Amino acid sequence: MSSGVLVVGYGNPLRTDDGIGPMAAQRLADDPRLEGATVLTAHQLLPELALDVSRAALAVLIDVRADAPPASVAIESVEPAPAGDNGTAWSHHLTPTALGSLALELYGAAPEMVVVSIGAASLEVGDRPSAELEAALPRIVDAVVGVVQGRTRARIVEPSHA
Amino acid sequence: MEAPATNKIVIDPITRIEGHSKITIHLDDAGEVADAQFHVTQFRGFERIVQGRPIHEMPSIMARICGICPVSHLIASSKACDEILSVEPPPTGADLRRIMNLAQIVQSNALSFFHLSSPDLLFGFDADPAKRNIIGVAGANPQLARDGVGVRRFGQQIIEWLGGKRIHPAFVVPGGVDAPLSAETRDRILSTIPEALAATERAIAWYKETLVRFEEDAATFGDFPSAFMGLVDRAGNVDHYDGWLRVMDAQGRLLADRLDPRGYQDYLGEAVEPWTYLKSTYWKTLGYPNGIYRVGPLARVIVAVQMGTPRADVELDEFRRRVGRVPSSSFHYHYARLIDMLHSIERIEELLRGPDILSPRVRSFAGVNSNEGIGVSEAPRGTLLHHYKVDDNGIVQWANLVIATGHNNLAMNRSVAQVAKHYVKSAKLTEPMLNRVEAVIRCYDPCLSCSTHALGQMPLQVQLLGPDGAVLDELER
Repeated sequence: MSSGVLVVGYGNPLRTDDGIGPMAAQRLADDPRLEGATVLTAHQLLPELALDVSRAALAVLIDVRADAPPASVAIESVEPAPAGDNGTAWSHHLTPTALGSLALELYGAAPEMVVVSIGAASLEVGDRPSAELEAALPRIVDAVVGVVQGRTRARIVEPSHA
Repeated sequence: MEAPATNKIVIDPITRIEGHSKITIHLDDAGEVADAQFHVTQFRGFERIVQGRPIHEMPSIMARICGICPVSHLIASSKACDEILSVEPPPTGADLRRIMNLAQIVQSNALSFFHLSSPDLLFGFDADPAKRNIIGVAGANPQLARDGVGVRRFGQQIIEWLGGKRIHPAFVVPGGVDAPLSAETRDRILSTIPEALAATERAIAWYKETLVRFEEDAATFGDFPSAFMGLVDRAGNVDHYDGWLRVMDAQGRLLADRLDPRGYQDYLGEAVEPWTYLKSTYWKTLGYPNGIYRVGPLARVIVAVQMGTPRADVELDEFRRRVGRVPSSSFHYHYARLIDMLHSIERIEELLRGPDILSPRVRSFAGVNSNEGIGVSEAPRGTLLHHYKVDDNGIVQWANLVIATGHNNLAMNRSVAQVAKHYVKSAKLTEPMLNRVEAVIRCYDPCLSCSTHALGQMPLQVQLLGPDGAVLDELER
């Protein structure tokens, strides 16, 4: 059972590999290894997610990164930033760090947060990921399951995507 | 005749609005602001993209215009398709559409007020930009931030519960909606209403205390006479889904009432300028550009007799006592947006408690019975029109969208010029000036992806240009 686990796959499904987060989340929603987990998809990390995050014991965010080799999977831990040091002049979306900060500020709790990311091969307009990332989808799914099951220890990867 | 020499300041793009844009401020030889222009520089494409598509695809395609307000486009598009099918949705289908539209109004207004504008209102326009964001609000006034998260979540959850997802839901279709409401979902929504009302009323109380600190800004934030336009029902009260257009002038006189939105081309003109992709809509009788009018929450509360729900009507009475029957400053969009939100939550509850809201009859079916259809509704930012022409097989031949941000384009330009004239005192760019020029645009909460159907975003850039066009100063954010 994975109760207390929140998984959020986010990105734009109409920008090819940017949609890999939601696609992975959809697979994980039906994965028996994550039974009991709350799995969400989102285009962006929005302030409304702070409540969900604050209620979780572990939050795993799945995203794509443009600054990593295509299809390379990284697992990073995220620490909420101190108040006022959110590291973003945001408009209406948040970084993982800011989301954790908001959960802590507003609801007094921020869980262990981990970002599972994969390097993009393409971020062009398109409603399905590149063949390279589509082939890598099982690895992303397994990486998330590994984090949830405690088999994979989160580490900071530089340059940080958080 | 030779044009007078001017300097020019460019702000590119504006942040904390939905989408991105650029502003140029033109200075004369004396260094005074001569004019300002609000540029929307992205390409608009949906009216062409849909040509050749069957009408049953239109609502889903049009909803993709915007990730913030997909429901607004679903509604207007489906209503245009209703006309092409020559059907009316069953009453329960129409009410379910109303509920989803009102949920959209709530969540988008909450985004605008709490997430995008409350940092300015809480900390002031001269505060450190690093603090003026939702994280800063969370630290300084956690209740306000929690209320923002809660109210937006309320609207998003309704959309998700009705449509299966928060962004780009289906549900609203030509002829009505695609599924009846279950008692479980109704009760689930009803259970969230008391907190949504309480949070909105807390925000209104906080705003009313805050307003007194911004009297100077209110006098310069797009404070000019103009007409206002919005949809009203048979009694003249606010109607976000249907009804007639009412246009009121700056003195509160009706320029037009009970106008059929289907005749919009008779009384609304659409001007195109070479420096922006955003069309400027104007009231034809007064010509271009004198036919300036505003739409959106401020226009809705001005043109209506009442809101039509008890709590919102109490607040509307106080609004009118505080700022007048026809306030001329766009700063009061914020106040109006809160009342609009309160009314929407009350109205959702009324509709959910209707005796037939669980009726299974929610959709009318028909083939193509007309070659033209026009759908209108009130989107969060104002009146939204979709106009389609199809062939006998229902294939779209032509489409025109008149978007709230286009209605407000002339007013936004005038507002930027007014703020610039008040705050730009030299050829040097300053952060407070920049903040106020941006903030006046945020009053209108323009949706640039709706109005231009943009791809991607632009960085913030401010340029000051001399009479010869040379860059004298530049800021980037």
